[in-house]
Amino acid sequence: METIYAICVGIITAGGVFLVLRAYTFAVVLGLTLLSYAVNLFLFASGRLVINGAAILGESDVYADPLPQALVLTAIVIGFAMTAFALILALRARADLGNDQVDGDKD
Amino acid sequence: MLQHLIFFPVLLPLLAGIFLLLPPLHGHVKRQRVAVLVVNILLLVSAVLLLQQSIHHEPQMYMMGDWQAPFGIALVNDKLAAIMLLLSAVLGFAVHLYVFGGDDQRGPFFHPLFMFQLMGINGAFLTGDAFNLFVFFEILLIASYSLLIHGGGKQRTQAAVHYVLLNLVGSVFFLFGLGIIYATFGTLNMADMAYKAAHLNADDIALAKAGGLLLLVVFGLKAALLPLHFWLPRTYAHTSTPVAALFAIMTKVGIYSLWRMHTAVFGDHAGELANIAVFWLWPLAVATLIAGIIALLASQTLKMLAANLVVISAGSLLLTVALNSPQATAAGLYYLIHSTLMSAALFLIAGMVQEQRGQAQDRFVRSRPVNQPALLGGFFFVAALALIGMPPLSGFVGKILLLQAAGDAADAVWVWPPVLISGLAAIIIFSRAGTTLFWRVQGASQNQVLAHPLQIAATVLLLLMSPALVIWGGGSDRFLFVSRL
Amino acid sequence: MNLFWIPLLPLLGTLVPLLSYRFGRTATAALTALLPAISLLLVVLAIPAVFAGEALTWQMQWIPQIGLNLAFHLDGLGLLFSLLILGIGLLVILYARYYLSDNDDMGRFYSYLILFMTAMLGVVLSNNLLQLWFFWELTSISSFLLISFWSHKTDARKGARMALTITGAGGLALLGALILIGQTVGSYDLRTVLASGDVLRESAVYPVIIILFLLGAFTKSAQFPFHFWLPHAMAAPTPVSAYLHSATMVKAGVFLLARFYPVLADTELWFVIVSMVGLATLLLGAYTALFKHDLKGLLAYSTISHLGLITLLFGLDTELAAIAAVFHIINHAVFKASLFMAAGIIDHESGSRDMRQLNGLWKYMPYTATLAMVAAASMAGVPLLNGFLSKEMLFAETLHQKTLGSLSWLIPLLATIGGALAVAYSLRFIHDVFFNGEPINLPRTPHEPPRYMRVPVEILVVLCLLVGVFPGFSVGELLNAAASAVLYKPLPDFSLAVWHGFNGPLLMSLLAVAGGITLYFNRRHLFAFQGQFVELDAKIEFEKCIQWMTAKATVIHRWLDNASLQRYVLLLVVFALVVAGWPLLQLEGASGSRPQLPVNAVFLVAAGILIIGTLATVMFSHLRLLALILISIVGLIVAIAFAYFSAPDLALTQLSVEVATIILFLLSLYFLPQKTSLRDGSPRRIVRDLSIASLVGAVIGTLCYAMLTRPLNSISEFFIVNSKTGGGGTNVVNVILVDFRGFDTLGEITVLAIAGLGIYKLLAGMRLYVPAADSDGRPWAKDKNPMMLALVSQSLLPLALLVSAYIFLRGHNMPGGGFIAGLITAIALIQQYIAHGVAWMKVRLNFPYHGLIAVGLLLATFSGLGSWLFERPFLTTWFDYFSLPWIGKFELASAMVFDLGVYFTVIGATLLILANLGQLTTSERPLPGGK
Repeated sequence: METIYAICVGIITAGGVFLVLRAYTFAVVLGLTLLSYAVNLFLFASGRLVINGAAILGESDVYADPLPQALVLTAIVIGFAMTAFALILALRARADLGNDQVDGDKD
Repeated sequence: MLQHLIFFPVLLPLLAGIFLLLPPLHGHVKRQRVAVLVVNILLLVSAVLLLQQSIHHEPQMYMMGDWQAPFGIALVNDKLAAIMLLLSAVLGFAVHLYVFGGDDQRGPFFHPLFMFQLMGINGAFLTGDAFNLFVFFEILLIASYSLLIHGGGKQRTQAAVHYVLLNLVGSVFFLFGLGIIYATFGTLNMADMAYKAAHLNADDIALAKAGGLLLLVVFGLKAALLPLHFWLPRTYAHTSTPVAALFAIMTKVGIYSLWRMHTAVFGDHAGELANIAVFWLWPLAVATLIAGIIALLASQTLKMLAANLVVISAGSLLLTVALNSPQATAAGLYYLIHSTLMSAALFLIAGMVQEQRGQAQDRFVRSRPVNQPALLGGFFFVAALALIGMPPLSGFVGKILLLQAAGDAADAVWVWPPVLISGLAAIIIFSRAGTTLFWRVQGASQNQVLAHPLQIAATVLLLLMSPALVIWGGGSDRFLFVSRL
Repeated sequence: MNLFWIPLLPLLGTLVPLLSYRFGRTATAALTALLPAISLLLVVLAIPAVFAGEALTWQMQWIPQIGLNLAFHLDGLGLLFSLLILGIGLLVILYARYYLSDNDDMGRFYSYLILFMTAMLGVVLSNNLLQLWFFWELTSISSFLLISFWSHKTDARKGARMALTITGAGGLALLGALILIGQTVGSYDLRTVLASGDVLRESAVYPVIIILFLLGAFTKSAQFPFHFWLPHAMAAPTPVSAYLHSATMVKAGVFLLARFYPVLADTELWFVIVSMVGLATLLLGAYTALFKHDLKGLLAYSTISHLGLITLLFGLDTELAAIAAVFHIINHAVFKASLFMAAGIIDHESGSRDMRQLNGLWKYMPYTATLAMVAAASMAGVPLLNGFLSKEMLFAETLHQKTLGSLSWLIPLLATIGGALAVAYSLRFIHDVFFNGEPINLPRTPHEPPRYMRVPVEILVVLCLLVGVFPGFSVGELLNAAASAVLYKPLPDFSLAVWHGFNGPLLMSLLAVAGGITLYFNRRHLFAFQGQFVELDAKIEFEKCIQWMTAKATVIHRWLDNASLQRYVLLLVVFALVVAGWPLLQLEGASGSRPQLPVNAVFLVAAGILIIGTLATVMFSHLRLLALILISIVGLIVAIAFAYFSAPDLALTQLSVEVATIILFLLSLYFLPQKTSLRDGSPRRIVRDLSIASLVGAVIGTLCYAMLTRPLNSISEFFIVNSKTGGGGTNVVNVILVDFRGFDTLGEITVLAIAGLGIYKLLAGMRLYVPAADSDGRPWAKDKNPMMLALVSQSLLPLALLVSAYIFLRGHNMPGGGFIAGLITAIALIQQYIAHGVAWMKVRLNFPYHGLIAVGLLLATFSGLGSWLFERPFLTTWFDYFSLPWIGKFELASAMVFDLGVYFTVIGATLLILANLGQLTTSERPLPGGK
């Protein structure tokens, strides 16, 4: 299962990286969203994978590492804030610069 | 109260930011200005107290939530942190004075954002926890994104698009790095990491290396390490004057983090992980310096010149990190203080020149004269001398420290030529800039813009730091030599 | 202590003219002269001690960590230079009083001049290498200020820049040399260094030291090939030329040669370089001087030539040559300063410096003419004048040296030619200016200058004669003292007599005079010959060079930095790829020892959807709405994965954030083009990006795999153990968030808050094109707020609020918490916006969101500050259990207040973002100014 998990993380990362290299702001923000999925999964994986672990004390003898979970939570929230900012900035750039490409209109 | 002193540099701007959003401060320019001034003075006072504490005592820790060290988040005050805090307080104070000249009215929420920015910077200096460092990085970044666009304008928006998107990608790598660090070290406390670095499983070494080097990428992006520095010049040159001046300390956060992470955690003691960054930093720092020199010579406006100088100072500072000796760190610290304050001053001067010259702004072309040639010219001259590294101002001490730190003949071959040539390039471009901006004039000025007395006061305050750093440079001995990082 | 006052008094003196200029010109000059005069007195008082060989020193610590001390010492060489600097300086002050016009800012001029005086005194009195450099650079700076004194003139600006650049570059080289010397010797103390000649000469870096050191000295003293800046420095007012650019500053370079002569000289390398450069400068300067029509131009090149002469003397391998060099330093300063002053008088009183116009001035100003002719004769080396003596010594030494081995005979020959040229240009100076017919088209009728303007020239000319006739009596002891300081050992015998009998040197002198006269009278042919060459203007060449450099730098810079984010991101990604991938190459196998979980079908299907969703998002990113749907599928699977791997909190958060994000994307899409062309980038670029992206994915995937398959030994056990007892909650993740690492959470909501403010800032005053129809041309529905939606969402609102309250309350012990509850509330409110419109909501929900954010942050912060009352650090939590009738046992914890803060901040920030974005098209849109 670890293998497939890692493959998934790798593919989402690859997709995200490809998109952040695009010229349109929308694609870049999409790419950032994908990257944040990937990084959240990655960060989560730093606590290793546990199935049917206890989220609440006493539910089970096996515990998933809670610390990475807390870190991922923080990262998700920060990621949301950042994505929102980037998206609105893309709108602002469209308004100010007249196009929606990261480097201005190069066509 | 004093046992909470370490927390003040973060708490004060946080509370200030909050209260600035609430009545009775929200929407009242004067009250806001008084409030931020008071907070700034408190920040200065607490920074001075912290510096004193750090000189006379061992590093002090403040444990958030009263949880003991590797488990809770620790704020750590040592000499290095205290100096950085004082620097940010002085810079923040000066920039605030400047802003009272009217820049704070050019868009909403300037003061609260400024406060959050200071909070992020100070938090990054204080925290002893790797993930908390990420959080403070994000605070200072999101605040900087918002401040960057203050005042609006096409160029600013374009610069913001680049700066924001690039840093977002950078943050992703920060988290990848932290994930690996946690997966191998099993801890987030940096002191704990430093302790564990030497005892890592052999199987985990390569992984930990990858994690540590990913953090190098992130800090390098912040510190403007080639090839990650390209975002800097346009961002700094195109944002509003006070924000650019404040940003002068932002690259230093990157340098500081390198010291904390790569000199301390991955330091000499770290066994197989020792000095993993040095191999990469060496050539890249030299290359940064060279690219900075080239860009400096190509500068067409005063703000661009100032921004490229920031790149050069980043290159020099990265060299001190790469040199990796107590002497080099001391050199770096002195140079860091000097270059931050003087670059900020130059940005402020550029802003005043820009406003007085009308259409020509701060471009190096013949144009109408500024309205206060003696004042601005004098400011420019002082800042230029300091930044070129000519006596009697602080730049020369930094330069000598740097050259001496690289004294070992093998290192000198790499360090000396770019450092010396950067001085020459600065002479060339500054003399061109100064003679053009202030002396190559035609016609009479068409506007009545005069520098606001507080803008002048802010600039004078920053510029005075330079002779102060020289005259009392001898006393710097006590805190520049950071015995343990 | 006296020693410290010598440079300090002039330093204080820089302020005097700035303060006193309002009292009139004479008073300003007199007051300005006062402090330097006292300094001079102090120097004079020290003369007996120096002659007696006492070492006068004064020292104070300054910046010990770089080896910089405030350290002065006065020896023979320092004494000689101090006398020149202060003596000539005072004369120049007097002279400038009459030279400057009423339009010139006299206060500023004198201030710069005295600043220079201080700097120069600092150089010659320094007993510390770095302090020497400190003052050395100050001389460059003050020289820049003085050359550019008339800053409205292009010549002045360009001349000043050129001088600063050349001497500045030299200064940097010198700094390098001095630090190398300091590090080799282990001290920056000059006395210590002077005693360590052998250490230096035998050091491996000696050649580097010599090169850097000589670069410093030669640029300052205008030696070939760096001589070109000096003639252009003549754009400065003439008192400056007399003082800085002939008598003192340019002598700083040769001073340096003299100062370090005992430790750096005495090697083949030194003698060859120094003598060759000196000789070349001597000849080039003298030859060029002959063709200058400008009086100051002639004198400038003559200065270069004489500086070359001095340098040549330091480069000859005999001790007497060094003594001769010192002697010539004195002589040249005296006669050249007086000549410049005379030239200034001529310029001042006739309005021209062009020798083609200036003829026959003898008639108009006989007194000045006499003075100038005596000085010029000294320059030419006519007997009974001081210039003759040192030139004889030069000739004598050229005959004794063996610097060039078997080619050494060339040196006396070339020196004689140089002498002849000097005679020729001196003759030209005298004959063309004062005789040779009548003046042509002069702007003014020349006349004698004011009485006191002539005094400085008179004094100097008297000195020329005095030294020339009674050398031993007048300067003998001074020369002894200075020369022994240069050689740093007992002096060899030498005699300062006017007459040495008929010998080689005298013959050379006679030849030189004869040759010079011949040259001058055949000058027409010479000028014709020279006229064939295109004359290069160094100023233009220099400017071209700077422009070339700027242009090249711009080209390289543009090539490096094409202002493209795409490239920046690429570099960032590639850099990260390299540094993260490189350690993996050293890792033998990615797989670790931790047992792996078995794969099951559900997981496989989910992974399949995830992968397909990701790939489809990438493929259809140009069809934006579709891409959005696809990416939300990926997000959904990620949430499910979190739930699957025992992280229900994460799953809930991911899910609620997903919803908010998608709403945000949808709102934005309204303003963005909904489709773009399929091709974003050339095929080549797409292949490149795909490869890099795949590599990054591979590296990250491998890292992830390696991580997952290795055992973890972490600090987490502590949290599980202490969650209930120390944090009062059974949901460990939530306890970490609000307690163990509550500080992170405070930071996280601060980020959210700032993002809200920043986004408001972005939206404020934004003017967006609002599309009237969707991308396929269908107009938007007329019914903006459909009735059905309004009804349903309004009835859902209480339910949503209830759910969020439930989620909030259970957070500490079960999955949930303030963040998720806040998002649910916010989304429910946004739904009301969508359903009812902005105006409807404004009536019902009329409070500023940023205020809500502030309240939330305040709650969170204050809940943390509460612990201060109990003398605990920030965020120390408190909890206890209570029981009430009907409700039963329940827990109260300070962490709940914290979580409430989170709740409000999240609502405030989300609404600030989404509602304002939604309001963009309405009259409620945010306006610049923040109101």
